[in-house]
Amino acid sequence: MKLTRRLFGAALGLVAAAAIALPTSAQQTRQAVSSDSVIETIKERGVIKIGLSIFKPWSMRDLEGELIGFELDVGRKLAEDMGVEVEFIPTSWDGIIPALVSGKFDVIISGMSITAQRNLTVNFSDPYAYSGMTVLANTAMTNGFTLEDYNKPEVTFAARRGATPATVIAAMFPEANLLLFDEDGAATQEVLNGNAHATMASEPTPSTEARRYSDTLSVPFSQTFLATGESFAYRKGDPDASNFFNNWIGVNWASGWLEERNDYWFRGQEWADKVAAE
Amino acid sequence: MRKTLKKLHWLDFVLIVLIGVFIAVVWVRIDGALNYKWRWDRIPNYILRWSEKDGAWVSNLLLQGFITTIRISIYSGILALILGVILGISRVSNNLTVRMLARTYLEFLRNIPPIVVIFIFYFFLSEQLIAALNIESWARGISRQEDNGIWTFFFGDMRRFPALISGVIVLALFESAFVGEIVRAGLQSVDKGQHEAALSIGMGPLNKLWFIILPQAVQKVLPPLANQFITLIKDSAIISLISVQELTFKTVELVASTRMIFEAWITTAAFYFLLCFSLSLLFRRLERSKKY
Repeated sequence: MKLTRRLFGAALGLVAAAAIALPTSAQQTRQAVSSDSVIETIKERGVIKIGLSIFKPWSMRDLEGELIGFELDVGRKLAEDMGVEVEFIPTSWDGIIPALVSGKFDVIISGMSITAQRNLTVNFSDPYAYSGMTVLANTAMTNGFTLEDYNKPEVTFAARRGATPATVIAAMFPEANLLLFDEDGAATQEVLNGNAHATMASEPTPSTEARRYSDTLSVPFSQTFLATGESFAYRKGDPDASNFFNNWIGVNWASGWLEERNDYWFRGQEWADKVAAE
Repeated sequence: MRKTLKKLHWLDFVLIVLIGVFIAVVWVRIDGALNYKWRWDRIPNYILRWSEKDGAWVSNLLLQGFITTIRISIYSGILALILGVILGISRVSNNLTVRMLARTYLEFLRNIPPIVVIFIFYFFLSEQLIAALNIESWARGISRQEDNGIWTFFFGDMRRFPALISGVIVLALFESAFVGEIVRAGLQSVDKGQHEAALSIGMGPLNKLWFIILPQAVQKVLPPLANQFITLIKDSAIISLISVQELTFKTVELVASTRMIFEAWITTAAFYFLLCFSLSLLFRRLERSKKY
């Protein structure tokens, strides 16, 4: 009897304590969320750390060994608007999401397309680019092919694993075979060697390759196939970062800056001399 | 030269011709199957380039990576040697707990693929270590200073210092298991009489180890240790996966940027070969000069 009474008293005390503690803990949570936000960390540090993987023409090494490309322009503008320094951390594509999750950098800006699977591990911002993808084919092997002819089990595609082209190929040509490589150059080389019928990539790379190997490669379709869009990726549980990145992207779409930079890197050829492309 | 020629039997010549034909056939087949435009003339620029701004020759991607590989190899080699000696001594310790701990560490590292060890360490442990010691902001502070020449000489770009340190530690941890086994073999090869002699002139266990056992053991294991160091250099290519900016990583970047797949990888292979082969020649010479 005595024991039950004591237990009851303890339970009552616990409820009372919880009733007092809960509102404050909600407030604390709110504070904790905003102070834990990566945006706060970046401001405090004075540096934004951006993870990226070399992927032409999103980001590449020029003749002097420096990083150039669409991502670099985006990253520099983002840092400038935040009033902080920028630090690009070249990372191997395989480990880029684990590296983000374990805190090696603040955000991935590396032409990463949104997929449901990735989204389970990281958060994505609104798209900051819609890369126009086109087919780069081995001319002899795909002679007389229509777009439907590519969607057959005997057709083989090659692409970089986990990159937008691979997603688009899987969606557009579900019947076709898909060979995955760690790196874009290897995928193109497979098409050149006749081990794969075709690959897909963002313009202007396919046109450049088709010009360089004009007797083997060609770009059979003049239209581009729109992807789902590429986004910034950042750690989960960070509403402040979502708000900031989405608004930054929205503002820069509205001002036309993103489109202008996109056209420069994906439509034009002016930068080709800076990279040993030809 | 003539003497060497005379030593050769006619069968040797047949063998040489056969090998030559084999290589030629393989080459022709590759050349036929491979649709590839070689651009060797682009490669030298990625080793050394003329900088208009500084008016001097400066290192470009491949040479930068090569230098980083050398740095990493030296630091992790030293660290692996220290850890390995401790491990080797623990393996022959009289204390059972110490022996078992050393054995566990060794079997753990020796029976897991290096890539798994590297990922576990890099993604789970190194971040906490770097955050706890505040290495990152310290390194960034140095990279912002004007006169950071000496730091840059030893560690390269200080902003990449945390990654470099993670790479060095993980490589050293992994190699220390093998160094430990080599050291243990050396320690056990010292004659029992040496132990007894040391004890009989009144040396304590530490003095015995330091003055009598270790010098003899180390001398015996120098050749396998040198060999292990060369293995370490080759293993260092794995840490490109955790984005340490060494030779392999830089080559991947170069290939992704320029599509010069074969030129870049062949050049990189030549760099590794040059380093490892000259080291092995050097060690062989040192070994010989000691014996005679």
